[in-house]
Amino acid sequence: MRALFNWRGHAIFALAARLYLAAIFLFACWHKILEPAAFALDIATYQILPLGLVNPLAIVLPWVELAAGLMLLSGFRTRAAALLVAGMMVMFTVAISIAVAKGLDMSCGCFASQGSAEDPISWRTILRDASWLFLAAYVFIFDRRPLGLDRLYRRRKSAATQEPS
Amino acid sequence: MPGIESAAVRPVPLHSLRVAVRDALLVLVACAAVGAATNALRPGGIAFVQRSEYEILVPCPEGSGDAHAIQADDPTVWDTRTLLVDARSAVEHQRWHPTGAIAVPFDYLEPTSPEQVRRIASSGAGRVVVFGDGNNPDSGEQLAREIAGKGIRNVRFVEGGAPLLEKAAAVRGAR
Repeated sequence: MRALFNWRGHAIFALAARLYLAAIFLFACWHKILEPAAFALDIATYQILPLGLVNPLAIVLPWVELAAGLMLLSGFRTRAAALLVAGMMVMFTVAISIAVAKGLDMSCGCFASQGSAEDPISWRTILRDASWLFLAAYVFIFDRRPLGLDRLYRRRKSAATQEPS
Repeated sequence: MPGIESAAVRPVPLHSLRVAVRDALLVLVACAAVGAATNALRPGGIAFVQRSEYEILVPCPEGSGDAHAIQADDPTVWDTRTLLVDARSAVEHQRWHPTGAIAVPFDYLEPTSPEQVRRIASSGAGRVVVFGDGNNPDSGEQLAREIAGKGIRNVRFVEGGAPLLEKAAAVRGAR
């Protein structure tokens, strides 16, 4: 178990997972930022949130996705970004599970708000979101000292502390 | 792989977890501020709190609804949140249809397939406007009533059907 946990290959897989999640979230946030009204309608279609919370979520959530995507891409506060992604994935998975259990026939609204009869929510959508949640957890645990701004910052900091006074 | 930290992974220390949670909360607050400010400043921003219920199109198992008539020159017909449904035959649909309209040919003998109803339901549109041949009876009105009866909400049909809709489209185009 310990050997599995300490396997050096985690660093490479965690980097790949990080960049994959970054691409997904940057892609997903785009249409939501451009079309908040359409995204609000997508949220309302789930019939879970009270009406008063639909628009605030539609306004804020795309920016959280953008920030998380950029942070994962640049390696800046990677673990905070992975935490945000994991939180969002938990929220999405619960929402889609409720909608599937209710038998709602709708698209998930995760990506572009097209006429998405070809991509209705199903247990596969839940499985997909659960796999992204797993990846976020994987990044959180295994992407230690990742390539990116965090690593650069640490190097500069350690170099500064080692300089003779 | 050079450049990647290859040191053995240790369990996440509690302090790091606290820092990550703190950072995540800060990002959340910053995003809320940026989102609210952007929404307030942009031309297409939405109300921070929605007053009226959203018109959502999800089939209800027990639901049924009436379809009301709408004029061809009504602005809501041409609204981007409207899904236009063409109840005429495929040939007539090919000859002319408004941009974005989907073909669901109405058959007086056969019910509309569940796939077609599902396609309409999952369109994400705010309302459905059906137009037919404009005859008496009008295929658009018939289809509108049928799909409303199958649980699609907020269904309208164009009074006068495609002929009047085509004229209205020409007038809009001429403006």
